[in-house]
Order: sequence, then structure tokens, then C-alpha cells
Amino acid sequence: MSALKEEFLNRFKIKLIKWKEEILKGRVANGEIKPEFWTRHGQKEKTKVEFKSGSGEFLIKEIFTPLDIAEIDPIDQIGLPGDFPYARGRDPLGPQAVNLPLKFYSGYGSSEEAKERYQRLYQAGGRFIVLALDLPTQIGYDSDSPIAAGEVGKVGIALDTLADMDQLFEGLPLDRISTGTVGNSIGPWALAMFYLTGQKAGVDPSKMKVNLQNDPFKEYTGRGTFIFPPRVALDLASDTVAYVCKYLSHHWEPQYHCTTTLRWGGCNVTQEVGFGVANLIAYIEAAQKKGVDPEQLIPRTNLHMTADMDLFEEVAKFRAVRRLWAKIAKRRFGTGDPRVTSLRLTVYTGANRLTAQQPLNNIIRVTIQVLAAMLGSVETISIPAYDEAHALPTAESTRLASLTPHILNDECMVGNTTDPLGGSYYVEWLTSKIEEGANEWYNEVEARGGALAAVESGYYLRQMADGLYKYYKEVESGERKLIGVNKFTIAKEEPIQLFKSDLEGERKQIERLKKVKQERDNDNVQKCLNELKKVAQNKADGKGDNIVSAMIEAVRSYASIGEIFGVLRQVFGEYRPPMII
Amino acid sequence: MRKIRVLIAKPGLDGHESGARLIARALRDAGMEVIYLGVRQTPKVIVDSALQEDVDVIGLSILSGIHKEAALSVMQLLKESGAAHISLIVGGIVPKEDVAELNRIGVKGVFGPGTNTREVVKFIKELHNNEPK
Repeated sequence: MSALKEEFLNRFKIKLIKWKEEILKGRVANGEIKPEFWTRHGQKEKTKVEFKSGSGEFLIKEIFTPLDIAEIDPIDQIGLPGDFPYARGRDPLGPQAVNLPLKFYSGYGSSEEAKERYQRLYQAGGRFIVLALDLPTQIGYDSDSPIAAGEVGKVGIALDTLADMDQLFEGLPLDRISTGTVGNSIGPWALAMFYLTGQKAGVDPSKMKVNLQNDPFKEYTGRGTFIFPPRVALDLASDTVAYVCKYLSHHWEPQYHCTTTLRWGGCNVTQEVGFGVANLIAYIEAAQKKGVDPEQLIPRTNLHMTADMDLFEEVAKFRAVRRLWAKIAKRRFGTGDPRVTSLRLTVYTGANRLTAQQPLNNIIRVTIQVLAAMLGSVETISIPAYDEAHALPTAESTRLASLTPHILNDECMVGNTTDPLGGSYYVEWLTSKIEEGANEWYNEVEARGGALAAVESGYYLRQMADGLYKYYKEVESGERKLIGVNKFTIAKEEPIQLFKSDLEGERKQIERLKKVKQERDNDNVQKCLNELKKVAQNKADGKGDNIVSAMIEAVRSYASIGEIFGVLRQVFGEYRPPMII
Repeated sequence: MRKIRVLIAKPGLDGHESGARLIARALRDAGMEVIYLGVRQTPKVIVDSALQEDVDVIGLSILSGIHKEAALSVMQLLKESGAAHISLIVGGIVPKEDVAELNRIGVKGVFGPGTNTREVVKFIKELHNNEPK
């Protein structure tokens, strides 16, 4: 520390001591608020002065000063955007350079109905259309499978064969939109579906912009649409990554890791960051084993986080995770290459904090979450609709959600400059605290053998169960205030307009599947499925063929998702989750 | 006195089990015996397990919209197995207009998002005390 800085800090220390003695003491002593001339007549005072951050992890003082960030080097730790360690942002210009996309996560019913909706979204200016898939599709079952009864087209669209994709994208310019899906246990299949849809529509697949979540870990930590044991799932996911990196353009993003299920399931903020970094590292290393360089993959991936309710803690989180990633990636991959050390962030704002009570309040919650993401210099934001705690959102609520960042950007000028909270004593202090805590969790996971081992052993699930229970106990005791839930409640709530899914969808989808199965070349389907099984068997025997080519041929033959994953289930077996409560 | 025995399960394919785990733990903390079956259970497995474990209450956690189908199957299987004394409750995302429908087919209680777990504990205790075994 320079002599100049030391002198400044010493002077500030004296100032702070004086302030506490002469000013603060008049207002609060022994934890009790004292009425003073600051108090307006009739104003109610609080009785307790202990404040915690939203995650509950940090005690928050009455004021933050230069003394709280004395140890944080303004050049090496805070620095500048676009420069190591990226606390202030990955992009040197950030919001001044990048247009916010209008983004929709959408889909329900049969591919026929979904198609209509996508056309409407496209005409309304939507250029980023993410396919929400129904549960049978996400778990690799056909729509006519007995276990799928009642679930077809319910939480997303049903895709059984390539014919559904052909229909879905008919008339949409595949080279002019970004598309993708969140299927995590079905990565190689999702890749094949998009690849072939483009090819059949006469679009050069390398000109398409496709984003695959392909994030198996999250299915074992709360989301639950797993198929295979985690080790197999990781292998299939990284096959997908290797294929994309080897054969397709950089417009294809083969994988990202999503921390939302961890946080929503009960992790605190430092766990979200620490576990998230550990998990993403595991993905990069799994791909590395298949010949993909981190320089190649990391720019095509991102960490997909939530935005919780504590505005400043969340802003600090986004800053902290970039800095922690920069340091760990530099060490781990032995390079200062910005493609490796700078991490792109996407946010899906915290749908878990939306309340069923007084649902319009959720519009305010979501706005603040989006604000946190924007102030935290994240690259992409997806936003849940205010009625999601009740049911699938309506077209109106979806549109309202998508417009939130645009109002903040165009009217509130939030995107006028990069990292506007950088240098704030409070936010810099929080950033360092979160980085420190997250680093400990990261080390803990590494000590347990890494992310895959932490998934397999149920370590993450146990951490989540404890955190979640604690959170709800705080809400139930009233220690944690939720407006409309345990404060300012109203006895009788007005019903809100809810989306209804079409029960006809399931029947129609099953008919379509039947028709496809009748019209396709069934000998060819069998041949392709046999080939797929052979490749899978080789994998199970430890001979590492990439499964994607065989998958593409199977999908091209119009083999259904249930047939394809039926074959793979025979070879790899199915995952049985541990019962952790 | 015999402890109240409750089975918690998620029928169907939805894997979001935070709510199910939460209520399981809260009931256990309230002194009940909880059998936690977890995700992706069929009505048949749920009812078979309920009979085997001799439970008083089955709690289904459902967010994906299949509450009517699932409740109907479970009720039917309970009736067929002569186990109508087992009460069924449902938690999760259930639109208001479906609550009456669930009650009509025999679901004893429906608990939406944001329900206080103490409310569920109280409900089960009252239910159980009213039904001598």
C-alpha cells in the first residue's frame, strides 16, 4: 500500500471514529434506536438494528466506507471492463455496444399449435425463439408411451420425430433467427434435430444460430428430467460439445451450465457461484478430453444464473463470478487468453421468488431482478411472466416480461454506461465477500473429487435441502418478510387470467406420430437404431466413439425419440435418484 | 399413540421436487412418520407403497398440470384396494377452478404455492383425529 493511500485511510479512520462517537451514538446505542431530531413527529422507529443480505449470508453494517475496500486493489481486482479479471464486465463497452434482443421462451401443445405461435412471435419482432419441450420429450419418451399420458404438450411442445420439427419451422427463416432448446438429457438428439431441420430447409447448418443447454448436471440437482446415470449423461453431453466444436460454426453454442436449479433449490449466493464454477469447469474438462480446446469452447458457452431479490447482492454476484472464473480458469487451463478467462453470463430472473399471492406484485419483483442483471453487466436476460406461480404464462404476460429490459434500457437509461455500481464501497465489499465464500465452496467440491462426484454422491442435494428448509422456516416465522405472503396480505384475492392448455393436443400429437411411423422406411429405421446401439455399446465398453453421427442418421430416418432413447436405455440403464429430504 | 404416517410422492414426469422435499421435512419435524417416494412415480406404485407402509395420508406434489388425472387414478386405485380410509391431499400449482373438481373426486385438501407448512400439519392432524382407525 502506498504511503499516500495509507495516510488517506488513517485520516478516514479518525473521521469514522468521530462520526460514531459524535453522531451515530445519538441515534443508536446498545442496539436500540433513540428518538432524536431526525425523527418526524409520529414516525415509527424500528426496534431492531440487524440487517442481513438476501441470501442471509452477510451481516450488513449501517454504512460502508473506503475502509471496507482498503484491501481491494482498484487496479488488479476492480480494474476495467474487457480486462482481466473482468469484475466490471466481459465486454469493454457492454451495454453501449450491444442491442438487447427481444427474447421468448415459448411453446406448448402440438407442433402444429406451437408453429402458429412462433410465427406470431416472429412477426412481433422476436428473433430469439427457444423451444420449451414437454416432459416426455425431455426424458426421451414418445407421446404415445403410457408414462407420457396426460403430459403431452403440457409444459412445452411435444417433439416425437423430425417431422414435428419440419412442421414447426416451416416458413421461419432459420438463418435469421436464433433458436435452441433447454433439453439436457437429450443433447445429441437435440443437436441432430436442429441440424437436420436446417439441412432439409435448404439452410446451411453452419449459418444457423443454435443454442443448446445440454446441461445434464442440473437434472440431478432439482430439475429432475434425468435419464441416465450422471457419468453417462456427462459423456453424451460432451459428445455433443465435441461434435459442434469440430464440425459446426461458432454460431452454434453446444452447452451452458445453469445454476438456477441450485439456487432455487436452496443454495445460498456463494454456493451458487462456487458450485456453478466447479460444474462449468467439469464440462470444459470433459470436452477437453475429447479434443476440444478451452479457447474454442468457453467463448461458445456461458454460465446461466438466476437473479434473486437482493439487488446489490445480486449485482455483486455477477461481478464476483466473473472475477472468480478469471482466476480459476487462468490457473486451471494455464493461460491468460481472454477467450478462456472471460466468462459470459446469462440470467433467467428468479421465477422462484414469484408469489401466487397478489401476482401483480411479481411485475415489480421481476423488474428489480432484471435491473440487477443489467447493472451486473450480464450478456443475456430471460424473464419469467408474473403469472408463472399459477400456471403457464399467457401471451400478454409473456410480452410484458420481455419488454422489461427495454423499458429499463431505453427509458431509464440503465445501459448508458458499463458497471455503474463499480467503486461503490458496499458493492465492492459484497463482491469480494461473495468471491471469497464462493472460492471456498469451489475448493470443497474439488476436494470431494470434482463436480461429477458431488452430483453422484448427493452432496449438492443435501446442501440444497438444508438451505431451502431454512429459507421457508424464516418466511413462516415472519423473520423474512414477503409482501403479500406474510406482510400486507389480503384476505380474498382476485382471480387472474390464466392460460389453458389444449387437451386435444395430446390426441393430435399421437395421431401424427402414428402416421409418421406408417409412412417412413421401417427397415431403414431399424438399421439406424441397430447402428446407434452398436456405438452406444462401444461407449459402455469404454471405447470412445462419438455418438452424434449415429444419432443424426437415426433422427434422419424418422426414428422417434422414444425408440432412440429406448435403445440407449437398454445399453446404459436408468438413474435412480437418492431420497434426500 | 401411533404416529401419523404420510407418504409424499410426485406423480408424472415433472422433476421439480423442492416443494415435495420441503413438505416432507416439515411433516417429519412435526412428529409424523414420512415416507418420501420422490419423483416420477406412477399412481400404481404410489398406492402400492401406501398400502405396504400402512399410511394414513398420501400427499401428491404436482406442478405440471396433471393434478386431475393423477388424483383420479390414485383415488380409483385406493377404492379398488379397499383403502378408502387413506386420505389424499394435493400440493402445487392447481388453478382455482380445479380445486372444487379435485374435492369432488375425493381429494381432502389442496394446497397452493405459498402455503404455510404449519397449515398443512394442522390440516392433517385434524383429519386424522376425526377418523378413528
